[in-house]
Amino acid sequence: MKRKIKVIFKMPMMIILIIILLFFTPFAIYSPGENRNRGVVTALGIDRLGSEYEISLLTFIPTANQSYQEKSSVISGKGASVAEAVYNAQIAMGRAVGLAHAKTTVVNEDLLNEDVTSTIDYLSRVASLPENTVFICTNKSAKEMLESSHDLVNNLGLKLEQIVGYNASNLYVTDTSLEAFYKGYYSPTKSSLIGYLTIEDDANKSEENSEISQAQNTSEGQSEGTQGSSNSSSGSSGAQGKHIVNQGEAVLLKEGKKVAHLDVDQLNGINLLNPKSVNQIVTIDDVEKNGQTLSMQYKIKTKKTLITTKFENNVPIFVAHLILGVELVEINGTHENLKVNTEFSEVSKEIADKIEAKIKEQFTASLKVLRECDTDVIGLARTFFFNNRKEFMKFVEELGGKEEVDKFIDYVVFKLNTVIQPD
Amino acid sequence: MNKINVRQTGVIIVMCIFANKILLMPSLMYEQTSADSIFVLITLFLLDLAMLPIFIWLKNSYPDKKFYDILKDKLGVVITKIIYLALLCFFFFKCLLVFSITYVYFKQQIYHNEFIFMALIAFLPVINHAVLCGVRTFARTIQLFFGIVIAGFIICLIISLFTPIAAPYFFVSNASQFFSSLYNHVFSFGDFIILFLIMDRIEIKKGQAKHLYFYSLFAMFLVVTLFYLFYAKYQITAFMHNNALADLLVFSVQFNAIGRLDIIAMLTIMFITLFQMEIFNYAFCDCFVNIFPLLNKNYSVVVFDVLFCILYYVFIGRYETMVTSTLFWLPYLAIVINYILPLVMVLILIIRRRGEKKNKSNL
Repeated sequence: MKRKIKVIFKMPMMIILIIILLFFTPFAIYSPGENRNRGVVTALGIDRLGSEYEISLLTFIPTANQSYQEKSSVISGKGASVAEAVYNAQIAMGRAVGLAHAKTTVVNEDLLNEDVTSTIDYLSRVASLPENTVFICTNKSAKEMLESSHDLVNNLGLKLEQIVGYNASNLYVTDTSLEAFYKGYYSPTKSSLIGYLTIEDDANKSEENSEISQAQNTSEGQSEGTQGSSNSSSGSSGAQGKHIVNQGEAVLLKEGKKVAHLDVDQLNGINLLNPKSVNQIVTIDDVEKNGQTLSMQYKIKTKKTLITTKFENNVPIFVAHLILGVELVEINGTHENLKVNTEFSEVSKEIADKIEAKIKEQFTASLKVLRECDTDVIGLARTFFFNNRKEFMKFVEELGGKEEVDKFIDYVVFKLNTVIQPD
Repeated sequence: MNKINVRQTGVIIVMCIFANKILLMPSLMYEQTSADSIFVLITLFLLDLAMLPIFIWLKNSYPDKKFYDILKDKLGVVITKIIYLALLCFFFFKCLLVFSITYVYFKQQIYHNEFIFMALIAFLPVINHAVLCGVRTFARTIQLFFGIVIAGFIICLIISLFTPIAAPYFFVSNASQFFSSLYNHVFSFGDFIILFLIMDRIEIKKGQAKHLYFYSLFAMFLVVTLFYLFYAKYQITAFMHNNALADLLVFSVQFNAIGRLDIIAMLTIMFITLFQMEIFNYAFCDCFVNIFPLLNKNYSVVVFDVLFCILYYVFIGRYETMVTSTLFWLPYLAIVINYILPLVMVLILIIRRRGEKKNKSNL
């Protein structure tokens, strides 16, 4: 045994191992747990209060319990700069801020009146805010948003980043992460799109509801369709009586500043060329069927797109062939005697024309906004650069060089060839 | 007895090819030449690859001779020592660069508040031990972990395919940008020079040289794929992501929910860095022992450690200074080592062949 120990200690690697152990073990024993020094931030909110910034942190403090329930709270700090506000939030929390797990970053809409990157820059470059954080904007203060989301988690188990999850995959042309924002920001057209959630007071909501119910009473049975979907949580206790409403909206940014607010119809218009974006509802009115006038709603279930680009006489032409598989999902109108027959699964020429007209109208309206703001979030410049580089570069030179590439969208002629067929 | 076979030589080459190219370099290159950096990379790889036949030719001509002795016989002691001094600096700075890039990566990922000596204490004893044990020992260690390292690397590449990627734009840089990028990044190449230093320890049997080409091309393919996927994933924001292999895993919304997948990249990078530092430290010590023949390897290891700590902490420890140095003044050294030295070896071999022919005709 003695000999064996001697042999082991003759090995230099063993001596090195012992030295390392001697050095690190006291550190490991006497170091406090990481959660005593560092607060895990799961969501971050940034507000502008006059000349000051307010940073709100939805922090999760790991503690031992038997209910598996996370104990989280919103802690905030104010300062003349973002760095100072984070520092003050750290003091308030009594821990260093760890942003590596921040899955959501919310900014107040007012911050988008100036280049938002100046605000975000410190967080992403210095404070290690991950670029895959969901980056969204809200109408009221970001702090209120975090407080409301805190209630959402407690009541429904629904996290803030999950609320915009559907929007990110179906409505926005890109995901709504900080990375996607930066990609747009640093692109030649300097345009990006981020998600938008609103906060509503429960008091206002109840007033609106009472107005709606009054209107419903006076319209004698006519059904009132709500505009857009609203994924809301009213939370019984309520974060100071406020709740988050998701109406599928987004904010269009140019050079980090807000230039337009897009509703769900405009987003659907922008997404017409996006093959991943499906499930939109298209409503067509005044359809004559069996002697009745109906309003019909079709869901776009499948989408195939073939895009070609060309220059004709120095005019950029964008040709999109769309094959849309649609399904009739609802019929509105006086149809007491109407049976839902298979005939309605067929798409007649009249219906196809109406759907085509409707989606083209949506697309034109969205394009108008993009052109007015010189924003190219649908990647037109990229597509032309990829497909017709020589002509594109020549065209951009004639426009006034690379700096003017964002105006390229104004000159593109769109040709949409659509085939509407039952899915 | 203390020789390594062709497969062990192959794994050493693979580790050298990965050195300084899998973390910071893709984003540094992107700033200069956008996605055309892939062409810069391929050009530098092809220039490197040209060194391999020169090495094999030299090895066949002088099967058991040390590189130092060949140079001493042909160029004299003084020039040989100057060349070895240049090689010593070359490998020392390579080691320093590998360490500083990895240190910054781990500091960002885990050890936010740790200080540099903690990292040095963890790394230096292990690499010193490997050097003292000799080339065969660390080559076998690398061979043992080779499968794990390559699996980790490939997993990082594969996972990036599950996130949205788009083909990057090519041919957007001009010739001036292309050539200046070639110059600026040349220090991170020259990966086959290590083979010259350990040529007397390598055993290449007849017909086995092709294995060296296979390992080299395999490693180059992995690095080119990494560059391509990195640019395809990040495109215009590639310049913001300093840890290419790890960032392929980390920055994806889809995998955000899964948790710390980046542990795969961390382990892979840790092993690769450790092996690279062992190789470069060995090269440093070999040069040192040949320059100062009266001092043995123990002295060389101590000198390496002292120099490493002083230079890292006092001067080059500032990350930006280190990276800027490798882009601007170290390329001069790299051009001498990577291209002029192999050309000298070609001349030596041609002269030797002519001499042999003359001798044959005289006989």
